Amino acid sequence: MRLRKPLAVAAAGALALSLAACGSNGGSGDGNGDDGAKYQEGLSGADKDPTAKGPAQPIPNAVKGGTVTVLLPSPDTGPATLDPTAGWSVTGNSIQQDLVNRSLTTFKQDPETGNMILVPDLATDLGTPNKDFTEWKFTLKDGIKYDNGKPVTAEDIKFGIMRSFDGNNGTEGGGVAGAGTEYSAKYFLDGDKYNGPYDKSTKGQDYEGVTVEGNDITIKMSQPFPDMDYWGSFMAMGPIPQGNVSNPPGYGNKPWATGPYKVESFQPEKELTLVRNDQWDPATDPARHNYPDKWVFKFDQDAQTTDALMLSNNEASKTTLTTSVLAENYSDAKSKVGDRLVQGSTMCTAFTTFDMDKITDLKVRQAIAYAYPYEDAWAAAGEVVGVTRTMGDAILPPGTAGRESYGPINGEKPSHDPEKAKELLKEAGIEPGTYKLTWVYTANDPQAAAGKNQVARAYKEAGFVPNPLPYDGSLYDVWTAPKDGKDTAARLNRATNLDGVAWCSDWPSALTFIPALLRSGATYNTSGFSEKSIDDKMSEITTMPLEEQPKAWAELDKEIETKYYPMMNTGYINNLMIYGEKIGGFMNDPAMGAPNYRDIYVMK
Amino acid sequence: MSAQQLQQLEDEITGDDDHSSDSAVAGRSPLRIAWDRLRKDKVAMVSLVVVVFFVFVGVFAPVIASVVGVNLDTPSTCKVLECNATSSNYGLPLAGPPVHGFDPDHPFGIAPKTGEDNLAHWLYGARNSLMIAFLAATFSTLMGIALGLIAGYAGGLVDRAINFVTDLFLSLPFLLAALCLSPILTDHFLTDPQGLAKAQFWGLVIILSVFGWMYLARLIRGEVLSLREREYVEAARQIGQPPWKILVRELLPNLVAPIVVAFSLGLPAYVTAEAGLSYLGIGLTGQPSWGQTINNATNYYKQYPLYLWEPVLGIAILVIALNLLGDAIRDALDPKTRR
Repeated sequence: MRLRKPLAVAAAGALALSLAACGSNGGSGDGNGDDGAKYQEGLSGADKDPTAKGPAQPIPNAVKGGTVTVLLPSPDTGPATLDPTAGWSVTGNSIQQDLVNRSLTTFKQDPETGNMILVPDLATDLGTPNKDFTEWKFTLKDGIKYDNGKPVTAEDIKFGIMRSFDGNNGTEGGGVAGAGTEYSAKYFLDGDKYNGPYDKSTKGQDYEGVTVEGNDITIKMSQPFPDMDYWGSFMAMGPIPQGNVSNPPGYGNKPWATGPYKVESFQPEKELTLVRNDQWDPATDPARHNYPDKWVFKFDQDAQTTDALMLSNNEASKTTLTTSVLAENYSDAKSKVGDRLVQGSTMCTAFTTFDMDKITDLKVRQAIAYAYPYEDAWAAAGEVVGVTRTMGDAILPPGTAGRESYGPINGEKPSHDPEKAKELLKEAGIEPGTYKLTWVYTANDPQAAAGKNQVARAYKEAGFVPNPLPYDGSLYDVWTAPKDGKDTAARLNRATNLDGVAWCSDWPSALTFIPALLRSGATYNTSGFSEKSIDDKMSEITTMPLEEQPKAWAELDKEIETKYYPMMNTGYINNLMIYGEKIGGFMNDPAMGAPNYRDIYVMK
Repeated sequence: MSAQQLQQLEDEITGDDDHSSDSAVAGRSPLRIAWDRLRKDKVAMVSLVVVVFFVFVGVFAPVIASVVGVNLDTPSTCKVLECNATSSNYGLPLAGPPVHGFDPDHPFGIAPKTGEDNLAHWLYGARNSLMIAFLAATFSTLMGIALGLIAGYAGGLVDRAINFVTDLFLSLPFLLAALCLSPILTDHFLTDPQGLAKAQFWGLVIILSVFGWMYLARLIRGEVLSLREREYVEAARQIGQPPWKILVRELLPNLVAPIVVAFSLGLPAYVTAEAGLSYLGIGLTGQPSWGQTINNATNYYKQYPLYLWEPVLGIAILVIALNLLGDAIRDALDPKTRR
């Protein structure tokens, strides 16, 4: 469960997201093969290899040395802290998990297919669950050290797990709230009672859910958690030195590194420099390489300047890569840099959600899906149609285990078709020009306004009465605002009947997607969808045998959308990246939605 | 002063500048003299024509737009712009500049991303820009006059109080205040898009006026301080004229010159300020504005330069013309300057 750029980490990123979710609905009829680059469905980690051993297979022709500069154009301000426990953003986690902080498990990329494979990292294998996934056992490898030479112990990993229960978001005594608030607190034993080593309520207490014997770490769950091996790939499930040295917020400036690189300097929202960690032993690491001498990450860069630099192909740009490209420069980039312009899938989906209390008629919801101008809205909002956005159907993004493509509206996939929308409205018994659709868009952003204008125009064309309202801030404030609140966001949420959300899975399993968006009462269930039978099925699936779960999730996906249609897919989100002429080994990491930094090298 | 210059001055005072008149010396008001001087200033006349042109454009924007056949409507983006990512012109108009030739339906071309007509936005942008500048200049001038007159004439505690307020406003950083005030002004209209557009417009006028009256107020106060000791003011007071009558009847007519100058030099400043604030996203957003267009167009300076040049040239020419005209008016009103 990860927002496109999570709220907790980058509010500005969420803004870009909301723009995507609100301004563009996704899906323009699949298979119009001539609308730009073809979408590649890569497996993003459904494969597992519990026996993978270090060192990682060398990349052909790769050489050591050089400095790689990574430009992250605004609104990507990067992580606010490097504390591994707090990490819950695409940018922060991709950098740290690939290069700095190791955890129980991790992903490696198959160089031929580009598929991501889950492999053991600090653990000797992918963990051993008991029969009903309520207890997992991992064994720490021998000889793992921090960058200062101190040994990593199983107790350190236990301490890292304990920290992941912290729910304090930077308040009172620091706080390291991160993805653990979703997974550790929800699935681990006593997750509802234990609040980590910093919270007043549980300070100084031992946590009984994790027991350590020698190198063995046993984690007890409060409910079946079949995805523990995936959750283990988060750096929050890694070692943290015990004692005062790791107290927040100081530890977040320079966490002790276990990966091939360590932090040389870090200025939040500006720059992060990584240098080699000579204590890292490649023989213990099946996934990572350490080809470049140094990495420089520059956050919140001016997008136009970044594009101009990359397209100039000057000496500095040759060892540089950028994680996004403006739609304005897409054609230029295509002709100038050719194959070095990479379209990468991200396991992210944008949605417009229907307020189920207000839009009660299924036919009206389906009519809205036909009224939505998918391609027009994308183009106006600054997306590259068919490249950074592709038409969607299923809730689950391509790359999720078990996912199947299907037609959610009477067997058909949604597309922009005002006539069909009018028909459905007529069937629902609604006169054209009487049904009001109210939603929020980002104020003071010309692109958001342009996208909004397209959507409003198309709704009107289909017989609705569009009523878009501007909001100056992250749209998630409005979408997730409590209905009885008194502030602006709550007022707006009461006024709207269309909301949105753009979601990325934390790992390629539907468990990180469907429950977070559609379980009754979930924070990001912005449609307010609540069906007991569906809730029950979600719980039931987690207890099924592992190999049956993906298919069951895919069926649930289909059932929800076909029967209830609480949210319309407004497109799968893709990255557009450029890497310099001298960068080798560049691949998109589809599980993360970022460049795979592990395998990059600088050509001589 | 040379003899020649003296002769010129004399000519002007008598209105006998071309030496052709044989009539008797005619009485002329100072404003009439100024207008005659202005008329002979070629730069001023050219600027005036330009300004009149823009005012015409602003006043008749809807008429001009309908005559040319353009409007502010939002078309379906992908019907007018290239949405095929395999094309080398992704995102650019399917007809008209920059890729294709002149498009008679859209003489200024259409905007990328939105697909809206540039000419319509340019016309209505000029209208909004001039309306805001004119209103803000009017309000700030009125405020400046009123406060300056009162402070100068009343003196004492009132003078000190007004001076304090003047200094306070002068010390506030304008941009910061504008950035803070604009969301406050617009917050009340969140669920009412029509009201929001109006609120943005008047909010901008208010912000510009509130931060634009101080210099004129100081200037007027200074003038009044020296004028109020004159005999005719004393005479008016002696015959029992109430203070407001003295201010309006006796003092104000003598202050016309600095007021006209302040107003005419204020206009271009407000045009720029409106564009600047709209560029920053705190001015006009949901409605046509040159500043907004420039903001949208900056990323297209290479692919579609015309899109950027249209509003930039509009602002540049209007502001230069207004400035030159203002300078010329100042010179014309000031008997001491000669160009």
